[in-house]
Amino acid sequence: MPDDVDERPTIDDLREHMEAESIESEEEAEDFRIRYLGRNQGAIPALFDRIGDLPPEARPEFGRRLNALKERAQERLDAAKARLKREAQSGGPDIDRTLPGRRGFRGSTHPLTQTLDEILRILQGLGFSTYEGPEIETDWHNFTALNFPPDHPARDMQDTFFLKDPPEDEEPRVLRTHTSPGQIRIMEHQEPPIRVAVPGRVYRNEAISYKSFCLFHQVELLYVDEGVTMAQLKQVLYSLARALFGDDVTLRFRPSYFPFTEPSAEVDVWWADEESDDGGQWMEILGCGMVHPNVFESVDVDPERYTGYAVGMGVERMAMLRHGIDDIRIFYENDVRFLDQF
Amino acid sequence: MDISFRWLSNYVEHDWTPEELAERLTMAGLEVETVAPVGQSLDGVVVGEVTAVRPHPNADRLVLCDVDLGDGGPSQIACGAPNVAEGQKVPVATVGTTLSLPAPDHPDERQDLTVEARELRGEASNGMICAEDELGLSDDHSGIMVLDDDAPVGTPFPEYLDAQGTSGTDAVLDIDLTPNRPDAASHLGVARDVAALADSPLQRPAVETPSEGGDVADQVTVNIEDEAGCPRYVALRVRDVNVTESPLWLRRRLTAIGLQPRNHVVDVTNFVLHECGQPLHAFDLDALADDTIVVRSTDEETTFTTLDDQERELPEDTLLICDAEKPVAVAGVMGGANSEVSGETTDVLIESAYFDPSTIRRTAKALDLQTDSSYRFERGVDRDGQVWAAARAAALIAELGGGTIVPGRVDEHPSPPDKKTVVLRPDRLTQVLGTEVAVDEATRLLSAIGFEVEAGEDALHCTVPPWRPDVSIEEDLIEEVARLHGYDQIPKPQRVPVPSRTPHQPPEETLERQARSLLKGLGYREIYTNSMLRVDRAERFTVPPAGSDRAPVVETKNPISEEMAALRPRLLPGTLEVMQHNRNHGQEALRVFEFGRVFRRATEGDAPIVPGYCEHPALLIALSGPHAPTGWDTDPRNADLFDLKGTVETLLDDLRVPDLALTPRDGDATDGPAPVTQHHIDVATGDTALGTVARVRDDVATDFDLDAPAFVAEFHWAALVDAATTEQHRNYEPVSRFPVVDRDLAVLVHTDQPVGPLQATIRDAGAPLLRRVDVFDVYEGEGIDEDTKSVAFTLRFGTDRTLTDEEVDAQIDTIVDALGQSHNARLRR
Repeated sequence: MPDDVDERPTIDDLREHMEAESIESEEEAEDFRIRYLGRNQGAIPALFDRIGDLPPEARPEFGRRLNALKERAQERLDAAKARLKREAQSGGPDIDRTLPGRRGFRGSTHPLTQTLDEILRILQGLGFSTYEGPEIETDWHNFTALNFPPDHPARDMQDTFFLKDPPEDEEPRVLRTHTSPGQIRIMEHQEPPIRVAVPGRVYRNEAISYKSFCLFHQVELLYVDEGVTMAQLKQVLYSLARALFGDDVTLRFRPSYFPFTEPSAEVDVWWADEESDDGGQWMEILGCGMVHPNVFESVDVDPERYTGYAVGMGVERMAMLRHGIDDIRIFYENDVRFLDQF
Repeated sequence: MDISFRWLSNYVEHDWTPEELAERLTMAGLEVETVAPVGQSLDGVVVGEVTAVRPHPNADRLVLCDVDLGDGGPSQIACGAPNVAEGQKVPVATVGTTLSLPAPDHPDERQDLTVEARELRGEASNGMICAEDELGLSDDHSGIMVLDDDAPVGTPFPEYLDAQGTSGTDAVLDIDLTPNRPDAASHLGVARDVAALADSPLQRPAVETPSEGGDVADQVTVNIEDEAGCPRYVALRVRDVNVTESPLWLRRRLTAIGLQPRNHVVDVTNFVLHECGQPLHAFDLDALADDTIVVRSTDEETTFTTLDDQERELPEDTLLICDAEKPVAVAGVMGGANSEVSGETTDVLIESAYFDPSTIRRTAKALDLQTDSSYRFERGVDRDGQVWAAARAAALIAELGGGTIVPGRVDEHPSPPDKKTVVLRPDRLTQVLGTEVAVDEATRLLSAIGFEVEAGEDALHCTVPPWRPDVSIEEDLIEEVARLHGYDQIPKPQRVPVPSRTPHQPPEETLERQARSLLKGLGYREIYTNSMLRVDRAERFTVPPAGSDRAPVVETKNPISEEMAALRPRLLPGTLEVMQHNRNHGQEALRVFEFGRVFRRATEGDAPIVPGYCEHPALLIALSGPHAPTGWDTDPRNADLFDLKGTVETLLDDLRVPDLALTPRDGDATDGPAPVTQHHIDVATGDTALGTVARVRDDVATDFDLDAPAFVAEFHWAALVDAATTEQHRNYEPVSRFPVVDRDLAVLVHTDQPVGPLQATIRDAGAPLLRRVDVFDVYEGEGIDEDTKSVAFTLRFGTDRTLTDEEVDAQIDTIVDALGQSHNARLRR
């Protein structure tokens, strides 16, 4: 508190002090009031008391300035109190809420996982169990049991990797070229009815390009029971396609050839493309058919009593269609800028 | 396989456009991949006669021709062809005609040109005398096309072509033939399906087939030594042949499907092959010693020059066609240079045989030589088509080259096969397809493609035609009926049955999904990497088993390249490549995980599913770069081992892996190259190892362009799932309604003292009241003796009643005592 109140700078000093005070709580507001405006000890009333000590000609000016200071102090006090009240209701002092949040890193699952999960989810709803077989297979499981006779041109349909150093006196070992050996492994161990999906990685010894990679993923379906028909196969594939591609999907079943099914079909989906002359094109999505009796015989299932259907579809193919991806290799490059989109 | 639309249409009447035909064939199992138009409209081109030829006054290379176009006066046309001559009939593009011509600099491309009346070096030229390539009939540009002398002047050229048995335009259907359909590997074969689809008869050209024996059998000897490899060998002879260029219609047939015309004998054999599917070979009989053919297999490796002038090593057991002295052809694959038909040939021996499919396939594979011939033999040609094909070829060779067919035929056919009959039960047909096809309709369809169908009591007895080697059981007939009837005729039922059995989802699938979702939430990205890599890299990243110096890396016998000759022994190398790729593309935070199978050769004691090799699903998590994203008040440091260890602990906790033990591995120096990882923490459940958490050695990380420390956790996912599966089901435990008591405890220990054992001691000594213990501070420095560190723990006590302070104090005393005794720890006050 300044001792000498006779000098003009005293008001200025007091104003400077007052303006520098911070008022961040109810307690500080009360302190401020007592210090500057309090009736007994307040600095401003104290100066009013001394007004009579001034020469008469200085009194009006002093009084005017002192009143202004008093008003200013009251104004600060009121503003602070209002602000404190507002803050108390809104939960604290104002913050810059436009600053970005503290984030963690973004993670992602691979688009192939997402497509495969979607397929398996749909299939589970259609009553299919899941089974996974080995990627290294015997020649018998991958080919012979599936009615690919040795030295038959059908073997050329799937360029095969053979493994070095197979066990002595045993048939060749291959990297499975399809998930169909899963059919054999299941039927070796389980009696019909069998209704199962076999997802997994398969290998083809083909030149790598935008449309083929040395490995990819398939999902195999197998349903074996009494009275299974090709008509049912069509309906199940329509259900799957509708779930994957939408209710208005159009499919086309074309006769084809796989050694392990008879009759065999390839299924195309109509892919609308406004820029194309024909308004779109047929895109092949899977192969399927009725299980060949020779396959049943290789696993001791009675082909007179049971019939069945089998389906093989490519996961990459489905993912490329769903997301408009035109180069299969990008799945295996794992560029974060690609992964981040899924 | 290319099929010419016009050629095909010679054998069956239909009213489909090429595109419509393609659609029909595709939906009947002959998938047409493309329909390519060939040739061009030749409207405006007429037959003209060159009535006079004189030199061009201003150009040495041009002549001026007067050409009668049948429109009154002669037209003057300038021509630069070397072969133009007075009296020739020629095709003339009249003024106003637009032709698509080969581009001068790019003969494979074509560009449009409209013929105009103009002056060439001061002389009028009103039209263009055309070469075959300019008309799009062939790629012959050696001179103008010279027409038959009797061609009527002024006739529109398309009419002339029509009379010649060809035309200016065609369409080529590229059929992706499946291996079960050798019968359709020819124009007649495809036409047979078209006949069934169009319900129109197949029109096979009539050919007079010679009877067995006769003069030719006296002149030529055929001796089959390998009857299994060659069940039938038919030979015909055409003498006094004048080998010549094939007529336009024949050359056009061949060029339409991409074959190069050679001479009329070779062209005829190619034509007949693509007409009926029976491969033929024509020998120059004068080149065959003793007019003898011997069919035998090699008993040793043999060198032989095929007619493409390649010297080839024939392996043992190759089926050969020989004369009395030497090999003259690789049976079913390619003829020899020593006996091929040339311009001087006058005496032709036509071979038409049935070779065993497997034998031909093995040879073609061994020689890496697939020909139009081997393609058909290895799939199985018409078992009874040899005589017709040979007779058809002989007739054409004689007709086109003026030769004489020697009467009779040589026909070595030691054991003709019996006819095959397959039974089709209509009930079974309905049962497999799920829809009824009328018996009449099934009979009609099967008959249309050559089956002799006889109705029995409950079934159709179907005699299989000899060109259908693929048909041997009832299902084959069901497929034939279904494909011709139309798969789109099979209805989709309103309901489909499902077995009354709940679908089984293997636990690894459920846990995998759970782990993926957690790791994604923790900011890791899932990757899929190649299972194949370089052998040396695979070996560098694996450790030989005890007692072996060879890493048990699985290798492929026939890799695509050295870069992919081995199967991954673990996921790490592929992951490092992904991190490298992303680091080199500006990515700093590298946080990835992968599920995938890893492989090794089996050793004694392994019991793999497929003997010889072990594989199991693995999980990898890897981390390098900043520990957190940059923010306005965060200052990211490099991630370290504890960031990854924390992720691993969170994950294994979430998956409920029981009896978890994370144990630092003592580093042992090895003799070989240093392992690629260090600072290992072994992760186990009870006594079962599950995997490791480790730091990638800095030099290895640097090799992959990683400039921040890299850390990796790898797990045997199958073992982990096995351990966690039993824990997935939980029984409810009541939640304690009594308060817990939290206490902090700080002890001073030697700086070398690991914290883990302190925690273990606390757990042991704190039982049974201690609920959990967490480390909240590790401190060295000011205020603490040198060589000493302070470790602070939060302890939580609780039980099924309210604890008293005295009880907790007593338990703390026990803990402090135990820490003192086991680790020389002092209480920090």
